[in-house]
Amino acid sequence: MMRELRFMFRDKAVWVWLSLAFLFSVLAVTLGMNEISQQRAEIAELKQLDEVEREVVLGKQSDWGSAAYYTFHLTYDAPSDFAFAAIGQRDVSPWKHRIRMLALEGQIYETDANNPDFALIGRFDFAFVATLIAPLLVILLLFDLRSGEQAAGRLRLIEASASSVRRLWWSRAGLRVGALILALCLPLLAAGVISGTAITTLLACAGAVCVYLLFWMGLTLWLTPAIRTGAYNLTIMLGVWLFVCAVIPASLTQIINKSVPLPDGGEIVLVQREAVNDAWDIPKEETYAAFMERHPEWAGYTKWDSEAFEWKWYYAFQQVGDQTAEPLSLAYRQGREKRDTLAGHASFISPATLMQRTIEGLANTDMKSAMAYEIAVRDFHAGLRAWYYPRLFPNLKYEAAEPTNALPNYNDAGL
Amino acid sequence: MTTSLTIAREEWRQWRRSRLAMVSMIVFSILLVFTTVLTLIDAQEARHERLHQQEQAEQTFLDQPDRHPHRMVHYGHYVFRAPPALAIFDPGVDAVTGQSIFLEGHKQNSAMFADARAEARTGGFGALSPAKVYHFFLPLLIIALGHGVILREREARTLGPLLSQGVSGVRLYRGKLLALSVLIMILSLPALFSAFVASLSGESLLAGLVLYLGHLIYLFIWAGLALLVSVATRSRGVALGVLLAVWVLTVLVIPRIGVTSASAALPTEGKILTDMRMNDDLRKLGDGHNASDPAFAKLRADTLKKYGVERIEDLPVNYRGIVASAGEEKLTQTLNQYAEKRLTREAEQASHLSGYSWVSPYLAISGVSRNVAGTDLATHHRFLREAEALRYDFVQGLNKAHVEQLSYEADMNRNKGEEGWRRARVDAGNWQVLKDFRFTPDKAAIRVERALPKILALLLWFVALLGAGVYSARRLTP
Repeated sequence: MMRELRFMFRDKAVWVWLSLAFLFSVLAVTLGMNEISQQRAEIAELKQLDEVEREVVLGKQSDWGSAAYYTFHLTYDAPSDFAFAAIGQRDVSPWKHRIRMLALEGQIYETDANNPDFALIGRFDFAFVATLIAPLLVILLLFDLRSGEQAAGRLRLIEASASSVRRLWWSRAGLRVGALILALCLPLLAAGVISGTAITTLLACAGAVCVYLLFWMGLTLWLTPAIRTGAYNLTIMLGVWLFVCAVIPASLTQIINKSVPLPDGGEIVLVQREAVNDAWDIPKEETYAAFMERHPEWAGYTKWDSEAFEWKWYYAFQQVGDQTAEPLSLAYRQGREKRDTLAGHASFISPATLMQRTIEGLANTDMKSAMAYEIAVRDFHAGLRAWYYPRLFPNLKYEAAEPTNALPNYNDAGL
Repeated sequence: MTTSLTIAREEWRQWRRSRLAMVSMIVFSILLVFTTVLTLIDAQEARHERLHQQEQAEQTFLDQPDRHPHRMVHYGHYVFRAPPALAIFDPGVDAVTGQSIFLEGHKQNSAMFADARAEARTGGFGALSPAKVYHFFLPLLIIALGHGVILREREARTLGPLLSQGVSGVRLYRGKLLALSVLIMILSLPALFSAFVASLSGESLLAGLVLYLGHLIYLFIWAGLALLVSVATRSRGVALGVLLAVWVLTVLVIPRIGVTSASAALPTEGKILTDMRMNDDLRKLGDGHNASDPAFAKLRADTLKKYGVERIEDLPVNYRGIVASAGEEKLTQTLNQYAEKRLTREAEQASHLSGYSWVSPYLAISGVSRNVAGTDLATHHRFLREAEALRYDFVQGLNKAHVEQLSYEADMNRNKGEEGWRRARVDAGNWQVLKDFRFTPDKAAIRVERALPKILALLLWFVALLGAGVYSARRLTP
């Protein structure tokens, strides 16, 4: 074994590829941690501004209706302590919203996005290095293992001196891949310790890297026999890499997207807008009738106190707007969920997909987490309604002192 | 010349005899044709759908009944960006930005419903387009076939006899380059096809041509690189390793590092953060819904003076409309000021990123491709600006109707029962203030101009690599 180790480190190419792997990994986790700390700082600043803002706004109101109309509430999805490893969905899906009591469907699709050029090119995060670059490094470390010895005329000698030919090559390859895994995972573990990631998460991620790279090792050993030249073997493996890492995932996306069509997003917001705007023209009884389907408890409070504008009616038709768009909105959400589930199933035939999804899952930056945040925002909005309705319908007097501490506050747990 | 031709023909014979070479060529061709057709269909469908949605949105707006004009300000309108003709080749940022915006009074919304957000996440490189296949993967084919063109002669010990027979290194280089050129010309056909189809739906020939030539140069850069390495190294394994490392660095690593560097050097704050910072400024402007907001005291005095009356009730125009209009104007100025700041910053980031084109031909070509196709950041910004102009126009148009066609008295009594509602409205003919919105990217010449520095970077790479190749070929020894 020591002999093999010495042997390996005498190979200059091995040094090149291993140091590249280490460099990439260090770079990836550093950039990832930097990004996450920026996101944290932004959330902290937003929270602070939000509090100041709310006090100012609430101080100026004189009834609950305008208080609800003018007060925005910050919601956010704080990055997990492993998010540095995979930015994932956080680059394209919203992770912060400002929500108020109006119809939610008109608000929840707003996105506070980065420069689109950035999302297009993508991140240099650990998930990217592990899923797409590491297999290339495995290939580069192993493609010439046997063909190189063959070309140098040593193959027969080496194989004859080993007790088991298979074990010889597997242990020689295993040593290289093991060193590669170390080079990739050490920076990850260090970053994880600094970020306070749970040790189980780190081990799970490192385990996934092991399994994934051992898969690539097996594939490379299988497809690069000694009877072929190194160049031939490398070309073959490049093709395999391209197929596994690009063509299969892209085809899966295409197939899944085509087989689970989503309702057009614009349609949802349009339906909601029509419902909200029509409400001004239709008899108030109609709006209230639709509203009472969900809130029979306010049935006794719909009498018009005067002919003037009434906030409770206004918010009732905002809710009816959401109710009208609900089937479409639900279909849109379920469609995305279904696409994600299918992608999850499909990942069992696509190792690169499985790897990427595993890391994103561990980092809580997958589609599931993005959807969970959306649900949390929906719940929070429902909470807002539940808080305001008992003040709006019985027409309670506005007390400026109460709201700042009593208003529902969004936190990570939802409400 | 004839020697070069013979050498090239010999190289092709070799490729034809090699199963690996043939299979690679066939696989890449299928990949290219497949993505070309799929992207073509997707983009055409999206184009028709968005145009249809745009017409529908306009029609629903115009079909609204008589009502209070401010209701229409809040009713709002939708604009859609139909993909440009060349999106069949490079869909660019459209997939991550979303292509529809809701326009309403007092607000600038972001584009919604980006495809990328709802896509099944399968890892890898995301959805493939012809552009992606050209930028990412064709270099791999050129590396696979090109790295060995001279090394094979060396390894088969035919290099010595060739050189001693009077075939100079440069001539050999020229022949091999010719062989690769033929390959590249064949591979470039789908790009030419896309450019041609785009020209059928109104794209200018200039854009199509630049797009095609840009990709040709890009592929030649990789051919030049492969040849150079093939001349300069002694073993095919090493040559492949070097080329692959260059590919990983320039295609996968540098662009992503460029992104991080751009966002670190020129940080932006998110829209919500900007919005919240803006709130202080906005509060000073006063609420356009509230005619008695103290912020409008001067406006009130000026208006009364202008018409020579004492009370706003005596004005021949509707004072509430005047406040709404003035409020919208000041608000929009502030919104635009902040929005422009953000757009400028994004543009700066983009140009910082494209500075990396000098070290990564991939960044150069992908930038050129998006610029010329009209699916780049600049075009998205143009869409945002045009949408905002449309928003301001129709909101102010409605405010004008509010001022001129709705009496102050009826307006004040609008909440007094059914009768009040009925009287406080204007004729639906006023909704005609909404202009048609058909988004078109900049003229081809402007798009090409935008791509110019990157085209220059590509040309430089091309010349440098060919120069270095010829230089080493001249010194070629067996």
